[in-house]
Amino acid sequence: MVDFLRDFIHILRSSDLRVSTSESIDAMNVVSEIGLEDRSLLKQSLSFSLAKTLREKEIFSECFDNFFEENYMNINEDKLPQKNNEKDSEINDPDALDKNENSLEELYNNSDRTSLMTAMALAARDANLQDIRLFTQVGMFTRKIFDEMGLEKLNNDIFQASREGNSKREEDLKNIRENLRLEIREYIENQVKLRTSNTGKQLREDALSQMRLTQADKSDYKIMSGIIKKMARRLISVHSRRKRKSQRGLLDIRSTIRANQEYDGILFETVWKKTKVDRPKIVALCDVSGSVANVSRFFLMFLHSLTEILPNVRTFAFSNKAGEVTDLFENKDIEVAAAETLLLNGGGSTDYGQAFVDLEGLLENNIDRKTTVIVLGDARSNYGDPRCDVLKTIQEKSKRILFLNPEPKSVWGTGDSEMLRFVPYCSKSKVCSSLFDLERVVDDMLRSSI
Amino acid sequence: MSNNKTSSNGSAKDLIENIQSNFEKQGYICNTHIATAIFLSQSLGKPILVEGPPGVGKTELAKATAEWMEKPLIRLQCYEGLDEAKALYEWKYGKQLLYTQVLKDKLNQIVSKSDSLESSIENLNNFDDIFFSEKFLEPRPLLKAIESENGSVLLIDEIDKSDDEFEAFLLEILSDYQVSIPEIGTIKGKVKPIVFLTSNNTREIGDALKRRCLHLYIPFPDPFLEEKIISSRVPEIDKNLKIQLVNFVQGLRNLDLKKLPSVSETIDWARSLVLLNVKTLEPSLVRETLNILLKFQTDIDVSDPEIDNLIEKSKK
Repeated sequence: MVDFLRDFIHILRSSDLRVSTSESIDAMNVVSEIGLEDRSLLKQSLSFSLAKTLREKEIFSECFDNFFEENYMNINEDKLPQKNNEKDSEINDPDALDKNENSLEELYNNSDRTSLMTAMALAARDANLQDIRLFTQVGMFTRKIFDEMGLEKLNNDIFQASREGNSKREEDLKNIRENLRLEIREYIENQVKLRTSNTGKQLREDALSQMRLTQADKSDYKIMSGIIKKMARRLISVHSRRKRKSQRGLLDIRSTIRANQEYDGILFETVWKKTKVDRPKIVALCDVSGSVANVSRFFLMFLHSLTEILPNVRTFAFSNKAGEVTDLFENKDIEVAAAETLLLNGGGSTDYGQAFVDLEGLLENNIDRKTTVIVLGDARSNYGDPRCDVLKTIQEKSKRILFLNPEPKSVWGTGDSEMLRFVPYCSKSKVCSSLFDLERVVDDMLRSSI
Repeated sequence: MSNNKTSSNGSAKDLIENIQSNFEKQGYICNTHIATAIFLSQSLGKPILVEGPPGVGKTELAKATAEWMEKPLIRLQCYEGLDEAKALYEWKYGKQLLYTQVLKDKLNQIVSKSDSLESSIENLNNFDDIFFSEKFLEPRPLLKAIESENGSVLLIDEIDKSDDEFEAFLLEILSDYQVSIPEIGTIKGKVKPIVFLTSNNTREIGDALKRRCLHLYIPFPDPFLEEKIISSRVPEIDKNLKIQLVNFVQGLRNLDLKKLPSVSETIDWARSLVLLNVKTLEPSLVRETLNILLKFQTDIDVSDPEIDNLIEKSKK
């Protein structure tokens, strides 16, 4: 029982389900309460202690079904007693092992799939199949498990048969060997799928969050928006705590005295003033023309995943004309909204001057000393007038301007890049090319605004 | 061990069914899934974190459990700013003040017996101080639940509305069923209370808290279960109408709405249809009463064009 649970939890963990030790202990207790006989009851019960969000429950359900289909066809009848037998035999009775080997041929000929699977599972355990990581290891493990199940004896039999000239038997045995090999291979391949489905994904996620967003492929969008959600959750939990801490202000003496009147004026309870947390207002202006569209896309998604701690975000997208996209993101799924933004506002040739003028017009008097303006783009304005004067007025009205540029610093100002002319008006200008950079920038911004 | 398991399994299944039928007697209709969760939380002594959309009977579950076990239900409603003083314990300041007054008189007696400073301090030391003692402790819901002699059902409602700090502070209570009061020490319950936490998922609950709980997700009920619930809560409803009504609501839940109609709203709607003496669903009637099911004007607007279609479907 312990073995099967350990194995199962191992698989859950490799499928991106975080199961803590205390939860596995709970699962143990659950199993001893419920027993193993009723599969659906067991599944329900284990899901209470092992999967703790809706998403996790889905993963759990899938893993459970796969796991029990593949591994433990008959867990209570075959697996447990056999395991005991085998343990005994290892200790007491070396002959028993031979018996085990004898049965390989019989095992196959009896065509009892359950006992075959059980034998395979047992051999797999002895061969430490749970350590398998890569697809390329399949061959090695096939051999190992086959050996464990008694390949040698089978080979000897084949050899014997060929020496005796019993070609029919030789042929049969060879067939059995081949079929068994295929069975084992298939079993291992399934196991690999079950156990390593996620390690690959984790590697990929790490790589994607470091990769330059301009090179991101469409096929990766799904994974990347998953990463963004994760990052947003992390930032929310960090910053909501900070916010609360800073809410308590000085001692409010007047209310303290009033609150303690019932205690004869002796001060038992303290009343604190609340500091007003000025929620940062954020205006983001994103270039969505071809070259930087990807970065903008993810930046917009990121900003709008943070509504819990950034309630006042207004976003604008531009290529040659700027338009507000806040509503899109508020009313639709962020992935859909991101795609639509690119469709609506992308495509033209970039004109930063026009974008700044439009932004000023759209915002009118909505920029004040609490507003942080974030401009995201490569500052390549196709030799149009960059209108630094408008940027200057925005700077004067707002708290600060942050400029995020996906291009490396070395190419700022080359060709039609106006970056160097923008820099003086920005309180910060940063290179921002990967999801990892995005997270850092937003984290920074939150830190300094609260 | 395997023998042991077989026997306990048999009884486990019976016990779960027993819970289910007992709930049913009280008018709380649930599937085995929920009953299993209750059974496990009882036998493992673990709190249950119940999540699900609003109005699927998360709070009702705790009430039904309390009624079934004949234990008092202690309810703690969470909100932003809820703190220890309101959730756990508070000192009875007024009485403590009075005590200090009494103490003043007594003090003279105690100290007057001794002549030197040292002996008076000695006397003072030996004097049993009860300023911070359980006598002056005002128990709030959590402490009450732990102290109760015969056990209790503790419902911590809408935990997601409370602050992170409060969540952290629940950890001790949930894992060990004990409370540390700095001035007194640790108070440990004699009987473990059965704890329910409910959450509407307005914010993610911390991992530490989740780890200590069994997690039960209650989704919207399937049509079969919802029909059972309606006939238990609104027994006078016509059978045909009941089927139509449940199908209609299930259809509504597939639409893209801001707030999906919950079970409690289905019950309300069923009641009002019975009052209106309705025998079968008609588009005009549905439009007039739709505000019982849907609480946002935008939702009503969205569903309006679909109503005829849904009624048509629900009659099949």
